[in-house]
Amino acid sequence: MPTVPILMPQLGESIAEATVIRLGIAVGDAVRTDQEIIEVETNKAVMGVTTLCNGIVSEIKAQEGISYSVGSLLGLLEVAAEEVARTGVDTLESLEAKRSDASTSPAQAEANLHFAIDDADAYEEAPAVVPSVKGLPVPAGTMGAHYISPRMRARMDDLGLREADISAVAGTGAGGRVTVEDLERFLDYLEAWPSTQASPMRLAVADAMRRSWTRPLATVGLPTSLDRVLDHRRTHEPKPGLTLYMLRAFALALTENPATAGYLIGDKVVHPRAFDIGVAVQVEDGVVVPVVRKVDQKPLRELIAEYDDLVDRARRRRLSENDCRGGIATVTNFGTFGLTLGTPIPLPNETLILGIGAGVKKPIWSAQAEVFLPATVAEVFLTFDHRVVDGGGAGLLLKRVAELLQDPSAL
Amino acid sequence: MSVTYIDAIREAQETLLREDPRVFLYGQDIATFGGAFKATKGLAEKFPNRVFDCPISEDAMIGLAVGAAIEGMRPIVEMQFADFSSIAFNQIVNQAATHFYRTGVPIPITIRLPSGGTPGSGPFHSQSMEGIYAQYPGLVVLTPASVSDAYHMLIDAVALDDPVIFCEHKFLYRWLKSKSINDDHLPIGQARIVRSGKHATVVAYSAMVHEAVRAADRLQQDGWEIEVVDLRSVKPLDIDTVLASVARTGRLLALGEAFPWGGVTAEVVSRVAAEGFHLLDAPPQRLNARDTPVPYHPKLWAAHRPTPESICEALRKLLTF
Amino acid sequence: MPTNTDGVVTNRDFLRSVFHSMLRARILENKLSSLYKAGKIVGGVYLGRGQEAVSATLGTSLIQGKDFFAPLIRDQAGRTAFGESMLDCTRTYLGSAQGPMRGRDGNIHRGRPEMGMPAMISHLGAQVPVVAGMLFAKRLQGTLEGRVGATCIGDGASSTGAFHEGLNLAAVEKLPLVIVIGNNQFAYSTPNSRQFVCADLVEKARGYGIGGFSVDGTDLLACVSVIGEAVRRARAGQGPQMVVARLLRLSGHGEHDDGSYVPDEIRKDHYGRDCIEVAIRQLLENGHATADEISSWENEFSDEVQRAVAQAQQEAPPDPYHEDWTALATRFPLTASQPTAQPVFP
Repeated sequence: MPTVPILMPQLGESIAEATVIRLGIAVGDAVRTDQEIIEVETNKAVMGVTTLCNGIVSEIKAQEGISYSVGSLLGLLEVAAEEVARTGVDTLESLEAKRSDASTSPAQAEANLHFAIDDADAYEEAPAVVPSVKGLPVPAGTMGAHYISPRMRARMDDLGLREADISAVAGTGAGGRVTVEDLERFLDYLEAWPSTQASPMRLAVADAMRRSWTRPLATVGLPTSLDRVLDHRRTHEPKPGLTLYMLRAFALALTENPATAGYLIGDKVVHPRAFDIGVAVQVEDGVVVPVVRKVDQKPLRELIAEYDDLVDRARRRRLSENDCRGGIATVTNFGTFGLTLGTPIPLPNETLILGIGAGVKKPIWSAQAEVFLPATVAEVFLTFDHRVVDGGGAGLLLKRVAELLQDPSAL
Repeated sequence: MSVTYIDAIREAQETLLREDPRVFLYGQDIATFGGAFKATKGLAEKFPNRVFDCPISEDAMIGLAVGAAIEGMRPIVEMQFADFSSIAFNQIVNQAATHFYRTGVPIPITIRLPSGGTPGSGPFHSQSMEGIYAQYPGLVVLTPASVSDAYHMLIDAVALDDPVIFCEHKFLYRWLKSKSINDDHLPIGQARIVRSGKHATVVAYSAMVHEAVRAADRLQQDGWEIEVVDLRSVKPLDIDTVLASVARTGRLLALGEAFPWGGVTAEVVSRVAAEGFHLLDAPPQRLNARDTPVPYHPKLWAAHRPTPESICEALRKLLTF
Repeated sequence: MPTNTDGVVTNRDFLRSVFHSMLRARILENKLSSLYKAGKIVGGVYLGRGQEAVSATLGTSLIQGKDFFAPLIRDQAGRTAFGESMLDCTRTYLGSAQGPMRGRDGNIHRGRPEMGMPAMISHLGAQVPVVAGMLFAKRLQGTLEGRVGATCIGDGASSTGAFHEGLNLAAVEKLPLVIVIGNNQFAYSTPNSRQFVCADLVEKARGYGIGGFSVDGTDLLACVSVIGEAVRRARAGQGPQMVVARLLRLSGHGEHDDGSYVPDEIRKDHYGRDCIEVAIRQLLENGHATADEISSWENEFSDEVQRAVAQAQQEAPPDPYHEDWTALATRFPLTASQPTAQPVFP
């Protein structure tokens, strides 16, 4: 026989609960349609809860003197199936079916959401609060030079511009801010100048450098004697490139303190998985950085062929994407351009770059012989992300590289 | 030969009475007297039993119009002043505005509200009620700014199946003249660009359109080109035309004669900020009347509402942001 | 609906018809109360217990399809008499999407304006000028002759500006409007003494220059005679008519209210009697019906009510995902009839 629930009705617009004053029924009683069976009291009135059909009381859950929220189950009736059909009442089973409908129907799910506050205390009135937390300092010049309006931002996105690009524009807006019209005027002004379309290579380098430049980068340098390396190179066949010595020394130095090449992401330092080191190769209108794999695990002579092949393919622009992927640091030799000093910028996804200037003959004081001796000296530089490495750590690493270069046969 | 704004309104009603037997006019002093502003002058004689004087019962006037609309008529009710429609507020927002949604039976009534300030009119004969009515679902709120719009929009309003709040500006009644009623006829719900420019957009409606154009004229002497959008209809609001204009200029001033708290200008600014944030090169601005009742004395009144001077000042601030 | 414009009091069919609507309404409303107290109706339930004789007489005196009737909250009997189906009532109360209001409005705020029965709003007195307007339209259309419009109202609503404005306007326009004031002595909980000070509300009719009648609203025969006369005069072109029916509301304001503020002496006095009991006695005494007939009507109407409730209860509620969320009949944007003035692009 179907079971029909007796529920606490909503007796008034703002009524959330009602107290059962008197139970007019007992288990086993026969009740008639529209019979008032439970007397309840709201803060507005005393009223009777009615039944919707004829049936037999099978269970009473409510107790006198207790307050129940609207919709609470107060008791159950056993009702004949014909009676359910006649009156159209909902049974426990049909309600369950409607509920499972509700869980699948987004409409019902949403309707339920709106009234999902079960905790009446949540609405209890609280005393007014005096704000005691010190807020942010209020910027004095909110309309100042650094303000980029939503319109400016959208237009810059259109043109692929960054803040760096508009640094050349003199603002006429409040506090000297650059208005959209300033920008458009500037672009119009540039129209009068000769211009060319930047190559994809140029744009790729620009993008990488711009991204890298968002970090606090610092550079340290150390003069290093290259005589032993040059001697070793002269006797070796095939001749390893100077950069390869740097590559190998750099890798070995890093193996002693791999965290130095770690990459900071949020609150994590990501450590190198392998000592794969890139080498910067100047090509037409840009720089590419092929990566030499597992430099720490191969002696110099075994690296020569791999290195030469990569550099050769780089110059001919025949590198695959894979050739340039996964480096943990880079070596750049700007000494080949005759330069002695530089502050290289690491790739945006790397923390370190080792640079080497041109070797120069210099008199070096020999403490042993108490005399100046001629030596070939190059400045070696290390640029690092200061968030990851400090000057001391970078210095130690650089010194270690210089030391390793003094024993090239061990490389 | 020229046509004033009020001539256009009278003409439109004459056309409607002549062409549509469902139309009748109901209001105070509108029959033989021809209305407090003469918007119905001569119509009672031309159309016997179609133009009625009624008791001073704004609530009942609208109630009667609703009932007549249910039975197939297209009443035009004249409020003597927009201010007095507050007495009919219940019938307008609760009866007329909810009726179609609740019952599916439309209520095609047109309520003419002589709106806005004129010198010396004081607190109870100067109000602009469009923002209040636009807040309610189920109403169309129109604010014609030109002679031709006054004519065409009144005719279109009566043709709509919805209750229309037709806000006529009293200052324009006799001040605004046109050589003739032209055929430049936009559908209800479309805004019009009345002046083209590239430095800032002023969104205005009703009499403020003319003040905006004057301000734009002055600023032109300094090299600023101001675009002026006449909303024509504040509900529905043609936000597309407004956004298209802001897209050209990057700057927005929403201008209205109503009180400053909320209202049409606030709606325009919030819609542009929400839907056209990327178009804005400066914080969108509003300029409204002051937050006091409309004062009586012409000197106070002139400073209460936006004027070409205050509009220029607001625009200069906006332009130099 | 059998109507008779002369000698209605002696018309047996008319009386039986009024009584049928009274009884149908009472049984339906008892059911609504029960549904409410079993948690089946959300919002409120407002009953017309004790006012059936007045309401049903008015509804029966009107001709559906010709006359207009703007019922208020205690007019289940009048609605039934005017021809509203029980399903309209149960569907609206139980929130069926198939009801006339489609879940957009509930309970007694239902109507079928296209059939001459506007849907009331909660603001009291507001229906008076609406009925006047419906009649006004018929005058302009040249079909007012022989037609009336009626509305019911309570003692409380007689204090509103809308009541005054509407009635005065109907008087000025000389419209065939019948207004029946059911003075049930309490506006929600406020007694007559805090509502007005004239001895009888009907005195207001004189102020408006319209016909005024008083009647014992618990007395079916008196109602049929007096309300019938008011309707007859209005129909005959004698302008607005006001009937003030004295009675007592036999329920709370709504079913959330037990009416405990009504003093016992008022419940026990003459006007505290139940108009249905009075009507049964009158029908039996005058030989217009037998006890067996009345009891068979009770059974028949109970079944009718139960069927209307069972059907509405199992019908689907409105679906917010398929609701047409627009309040306007016009579908904007309208297509341009003329080219837009093009701005000059900078």
